[in-house]
Amino acid sequence: MKKFIAIVGSNSKSSTNRNLLKYMQNHFKDEADIELAEIKDLPIFKKSPEKTVPEYAIELANKIEAADGVIIGTPEYDHSIPAALSSALAWLSYGQHPFVDKPVMITGASYGSLGSSRAQAQLRQILDSPEIKARIMPSSEFLLGHSLQAFDDDGNLKDKDTIKQLDGLFADFLKFVGISEQLGGATAANMEEARNFNWEDNK
Amino acid sequence: MKLVGIAGSIAEQSYNRMLLKFIATHFSDQVDVEILDINDIPMFNQDNDISDGDALQYISNKIKRADGVILATPEHNHTVPAALKSLIEWLSYSIHPLEGKPTWIVGASYYTQGSSRAQLHLRQILESPGVGAICLPGNEVLLGNVKEAFDENGNLKDKGTIDFIQSTLNKFLKFVKVINHVDNEDSDAWKQEDLEANNPVDTTVTNVDMNAKDWVEQAAVKTNAVDGKAYVKLDRGLLTVDQLNWFLKTMPIELTYVDDNNQFIYYNKTMEGKKMLASRTPDQVGDKMTDVHPPRAIPNVKRVIHQLRTGQKDLVSMPVPGNNATKHVMHYYKAMHDEDGSYRGVNEWVLDLWPIVSSYLKMTGKMLVDDPNNQVDANAGASQAGASADTDASAGASESADEPATETVDVDANSGASES
Repeated sequence: MKKFIAIVGSNSKSSTNRNLLKYMQNHFKDEADIELAEIKDLPIFKKSPEKTVPEYAIELANKIEAADGVIIGTPEYDHSIPAALSSALAWLSYGQHPFVDKPVMITGASYGSLGSSRAQAQLRQILDSPEIKARIMPSSEFLLGHSLQAFDDDGNLKDKDTIKQLDGLFADFLKFVGISEQLGGATAANMEEARNFNWEDNK
Repeated sequence: MKLVGIAGSIAEQSYNRMLLKFIATHFSDQVDVEILDINDIPMFNQDNDISDGDALQYISNKIKRADGVILATPEHNHTVPAALKSLIEWLSYSIHPLEGKPTWIVGASYYTQGSSRAQLHLRQILESPGVGAICLPGNEVLLGNVKEAFDENGNLKDKGTIDFIQSTLNKFLKFVKVINHVDNEDSDAWKQEDLEANNPVDTTVTNVDMNAKDWVEQAAVKTNAVDGKAYVKLDRGLLTVDQLNWFLKTMPIELTYVDDNNQFIYYNKTMEGKKMLASRTPDQVGDKMTDVHPPRAIPNVKRVIHQLRTGQKDLVSMPVPGNNATKHVMHYYKAMHDEDGSYRGVNEWVLDLWPIVSSYLKMTGKMLVDDPNNQVDANAGASQAGASADTDASAGASESADEPATETVDVDANSGASES
């Protein structure tokens, strides 16, 4: 069974993005082992001459490294991803590169009707950057609008069509992970490039 | 014009901070740029709202009082640094100081991109409804290969780059004027200024009739106020209340304290009201603003206090009409702020400038003659002599509606004194 790390993109105690990932963890438990990862205890990203990375960010990077793929659930703050998520991604690409060629599925939930659409668009660009280089599932968007009303008391999604869409996307993601494994040709080179990539060093 | 500059990086070594510093120093003759530090702002978290805390209030007050904002962003993973995004999230949650604020984005990076993608993200972020900043369109300042860009004194080496920044700055300064003008035109906000003192602040003495003739005595009982030989610790010194009184009463100016609830709570009683340049009587202390101004003056008082409260002006000055050859009386209104930069009231001082001018003439053997090129009425011109040369001094004219002399102040900055 495939193992996925699901990153909760919010540092808030009550997050419908967390609820969505928990729902997926339970709903897809026969198809994949999904482990939720929190980012709320990470400090704000700051470079240092020693390139110090918080212990927790190293643990999380190791988990991602070992996993078959990553699911990121992002809220939208001010048309973009939360600073907390941006900061976590910065730690996860600072002297360590667990995302290189790692299959990623993006989900998002929002209180309003747009379902974090603009944050997701920015997140794709961020995940494409030289030190992250994730393999984002193309042509797929899961936007959960009106997320406060979306779940029943047991934490299950209420709307049948929404569930059907999510089922379809997750099935695709499993296939995408499989295809991705066959696309290993450039991985070593990509990893090398990410490792050697250095914003500081103007070669 | 006053701008605040924020560097989006919290790294110890930041080329974006260098770029801001260069702009602040190199163009200091054109614009006043104050650079703010964001290092102590914690990660945004909606579970722990610290919008009211000192750190964010300080930044928020600085932004609110500035005419515009410069944001200098590095690029990290194709987007803005988390530290800058976190600050913007704080400034779009419970407080919204960037709302309607003219904003200029600049950026520096190690490679050729010059933070191009981060700047596009930043534009989208600033445009979102909770933030509401108004960005200068186009005019991207992308400083690539930044490690080679500065000399050892922190100056940009390339003249073309400096010229480009100058031309963009010129456009931004015009943009700031236009945007703020549109805002002011549309705004009736000054009418909301409550001269009835209905909004008690943390220093307001409640349950004492503001109109009472003995308000001071009643309020003193209520607050267990010290007097006489009791010591008061001040910044910077230690005086007894008696000493403080002796000191204030011998000031060569008439001082009045109006607090942030628009209540008149103090004047330095140097002499009888009738003899003062601006009459005050002991029983007026404690009154609300409406009770110490005639109705015809109310709109102007509202405008002035609103400008001071919102930071549109830091100092408003105006000459008192009816001066003759032996007096030139000026009123100054200066906004007071606490350590967080929050507005705490008006410091008003009134003085006669004539003795200063006349002593200068006597000492230097000079005399005043009419300037044949002067197109300003004498009152407005003279207001300059007492105020410092900084741009805020030009505030004066806005005070009295019948004194349309605002823009002339620069011209005759020297007029009061000696140039003739």
